[in-house]
Amino acid sequence: MQALDIAGLSAGYGRYDVIHDISLRVERGEAVALLGPNGAGKTTVLRAIMGMIKQRRGQISVLGTDVSRMPVHLIARGHVALVPEGRRLFLDQSVEDNLRLGGLHLRRDHERTERLLESVFELFPVVERYRSRPATALSGGEQQMVAIGRMMMSDPDLMLLDEPSLGLAPLAIEDMAQALITLRERGRSILLVEQRVDLALQVCDRIYVLSGGRIVEEGNSENVNADGRALIDAYLG
Amino acid sequence: MLQVLLSGLSIGAVYGLVAMAFAVVFYVTRVINFATGQLLMVAIMLTAGLSKAGLPDWLSISVGLTASTAAGVVIYFVAVRPVLRFDRFSFAWLVSTLGVAIVLQSAAAIIYGPTSQGFPKLLNRDNLVIGGASITLQELLAIIVAVVAVVGFEIFRRRTLFGKVGMAISSDPEMASAIGARVTAYAVAAFAIGGLLAGAAGVLIGPITYANPYLGDTYGITGFVALMIGGIERPAAAMGGGLVLGVLSVGANTFIGSQASDWFPFVVVVVVLLLAPHGLFASGDALKRLASGIGRRTATLKGAN
Ligand SMILES: Nc1ncnc2c1ncn2[C@@H]1O[C@H](COP(=O)(O)OP(=O)(O)OP(=O)(O)O)[C@@H](O)[C@H]1O
Ligand SMILES: [Mg+2]
Repeated sequence: MQALDIAGLSAGYGRYDVIHDISLRVERGEAVALLGPNGAGKTTVLRAIMGMIKQRRGQISVLGTDVSRMPVHLIARGHVALVPEGRRLFLDQSVEDNLRLGGLHLRRDHERTERLLESVFELFPVVERYRSRPATALSGGEQQMVAIGRMMMSDPDLMLLDEPSLGLAPLAIEDMAQALITLRERGRSILLVEQRVDLALQVCDRIYVLSGGRIVEEGNSENVNADGRALIDAYLG
Repeated sequence: MLQVLLSGLSIGAVYGLVAMAFAVVFYVTRVINFATGQLLMVAIMLTAGLSKAGLPDWLSISVGLTASTAAGVVIYFVAVRPVLRFDRFSFAWLVSTLGVAIVLQSAAAIIYGPTSQGFPKLLNRDNLVIGGASITLQELLAIIVAVVAVVGFEIFRRRTLFGKVGMAISSDPEMASAIGARVTAYAVAAFAIGGLLAGAAGVLIGPITYANPYLGDTYGITGFVALMIGGIERPAAAMGGGLVLGVLSVGANTFIGSQASDWFPFVVVVVVLLLAPHGLFASGDALKRLASGIGRRTATLKGAN
């Protein structure tokens, strides 16, 4: 059973589809990257998986559960969790509240919640140090860690990340990449949207390239040699 | 002076409850329910009608409050949810909630007739004298209810998980649903609380105003003015605006003339919006900002001269 299995997904806004007939899959415990130039529709794919776009057709299943017609708040309850473009923390609340809100559907399972909180703090010691600060008081890199922590708190079958490196300093990007690698090593299933090919190849087992709303390339990270990179770079423009 | 303060706070508590009814709904849904005044009227009319029909006062009041709460929820499903489902960013609720206000008001006028009816007196026969100023128990009750409403709401918002989810919905509803929050359930709850607060304001003011179908207009507008004075972003700020408005209105009646409270609130709101566009209590240090605002503007004026 795959962590994510998408078949024939089209989705868009208003009258137009912006992604067309997408098929992709993420095996259990696999990290997969979705690369593509600006406006290719990467965010739209993630939003469609999360159920944030009503206008979607096709089949999306997460660990065998059909989520194609599920409302967002149910998909969020353990099936899928998202680190969105721009992080979107709840800025007027504390770091710890942000994390605990991520585990909303586990609120009655105190033991599991505390265990998850521990695992977030283990991955990001800084976050533990700042747990009672308001989220606004954190730097961009620290906020990104909180956003990843919030995603981890729901203990989802599938983790989605939308350009987590955006706006971060090189050192913060390296830390973040290490965190994602750790998550993969812990057996999490990850779909990562990135524009930084190096980061995607470092973290992920396989890649898809999206362009103009269609999957135009797919392959294993190891097989992406110099030629492949040139090809990807050409797509990324 | 103390008399002005006490009378002002008690009427301000009622304005504040209406303002809070607006603000709680706005906080969760970003919608202004223009039928909020009519929810107050619904509670008053039903309570008065049932009491006249011979029901005990406490029962009439309970039914009145239940009705305004339920009416709030109905407004959400009839006038708000359909237009937001069609377009999340539409402003059609402006028209649809105003429409509901007119329908409720006309219905009440048809059912009860346009004249005023008596309202059950709760506690207002007894007076309490504090330092030379007197306050009726009914007025004291209004202040107590207002304090309980604000303190209760703030504790709920900051200390409970439900409150924190509400805060999350307020700041980013889409992201809140992506962490599993049932945004619709919260919207329903907000409209219910709004109905209850407006109803409570009605029950508290009824013995003074008597029951009249057109009360909704009066108190809806005053409550909205209080909301603008205090700040729309936080329900506690709205209550603050109500109290300020109450004291200033009673002060105007006492020191300017008996009709001054008709126009004075509008002067106040204009001045407030010029000096503190987001309301007096929009953020924690509002008074500091107000002071610096005055300072800045006087400096500009001096510079211009
Ligand atoms: N809310 C929206 N309403 C209408 N069109 C939208 C909306 N969001 C995105 N689009 C359009 O859909 C297309 C794909 O957008 P999307 O955000 O999925 O691209 P992306 O690959 O994530 O780009 P980027 O790398 O810039 O984040 C774009 O042409 C964009 O204009
Ligand atoms: Mg994007």
